[in-house]
Amino acid sequence: MTQQYRVAPTDDLIWHDLGSMTLLYHKPSGITHMLADPAPAIIEVMGDAPLTAAEIAARLKALFDLETGVDAEDIVIARLDELRTLGLVSRVSG
Amino acid sequence: MGGMHQILLKIGPAAFRIVSAWRQPLDQLVGLYQNYPQPIGDHVDFTVRLEPEKPWRRHIRPSVHIGGDFWLPDAAPLPLSQGLLAAEMGMNLQMALGWRRHLLLHASSVEKEGKALIMTGLSGSGKSTLSGMLAERGWRFMGDEFALLSLDTGEITPFPRLISLKNQAIEAMQELAPANRFGPEMKSTPKGDIRHLVPPKEAVARMDETAKPALLLFPRFGHAPELRDMGQAEIFVRLTQASTNYVALGEAGFRALTRFVDQVPTMAMDYQSVEQAEELIDSLWSELR
Repeated sequence: MTQQYRVAPTDDLIWHDLGSMTLLYHKPSGITHMLADPAPAIIEVMGDAPLTAAEIAARLKALFDLETGVDAEDIVIARLDELRTLGLVSRVSG
Repeated sequence: MGGMHQILLKIGPAAFRIVSAWRQPLDQLVGLYQNYPQPIGDHVDFTVRLEPEKPWRRHIRPSVHIGGDFWLPDAAPLPLSQGLLAAEMGMNLQMALGWRRHLLLHASSVEKEGKALIMTGLSGSGKSTLSGMLAERGWRFMGDEFALLSLDTGEITPFPRLISLKNQAIEAMQELAPANRFGPEMKSTPKGDIRHLVPPKEAVARMDETAKPALLLFPRFGHAPELRDMGQAEIFVRLTQASTNYVALGEAGFRALTRFVDQVPTMAMDYQSVEQAEELIDSLWSELR
């Protein structure tokens, strides 16, 4: 079974654009996160559904011009791991 | 042990009870805060206690331990001759650690035409001195230590406590303000030479009048005069560092600070003299809409 990921509920998050960075306030923890690209885009495309890294990479490719020659899925997995340690993304079992 | 002495003070929206084992620092406070209104009723927001470090040290080389509702364990005791400074530090500490009705920014602020200029930066940036100088040159003084940002309206509420002058700023301000507005000179305190200055009467009379933030500056003393744009991310981070209660306020603090960063024009300002700073501020102010 391929690992799926789920982002924190939309109602728990407040977004604010700071130009070069994006602020994300996580209500349950009271922590303000400052995110650089592509982390905000990853959270945005994840929506409410549990998705695999490959599915997230596919959604990103559909919305953004990604550089060719890079493995988008590897980048997504690395960012998902970082977002998991921040408590913004969790692994879905099953 | 003899009885404790106490006075009540109201500074902007905050009411304080200062309790002291000695009469002297309270007499100095009463003199310097004589034009301030008294709190209504007995309710106070904070109590500050100036007590002997040890009971037997009330008379023998007395040193003042600062206590209160909120305190830091490493606040060092001060000699009794610096009791006034201890009281001021105690009041600042209560605000910094305990105030919840506004987002607190370590910043000075002055007002003109209902609009506030806010200046923030590290110790030594000159924000306190600049606010004191501008207050003698046509601006209304709102505070030299904390700017209180409303969580609902986004306006700044004054907190015009005594202006705390350090080192060279003491002499510079003595050329501008009359002698009867200065407190005692305290030499070689942990913060250097300190002398308090009573804000102009208008600042106290209008201390309940809020102002809309119109310009935020990050002054830096000792560099050739220059104005620089700053990115919003840098501004936001530096303001969270300048706030003592951002984390404690949670979502309300986040909403207040992001609105502030969105709406208030902000510049970094280098300067080498108060005259240079005043020129830069006047030029920016005249361009505001």
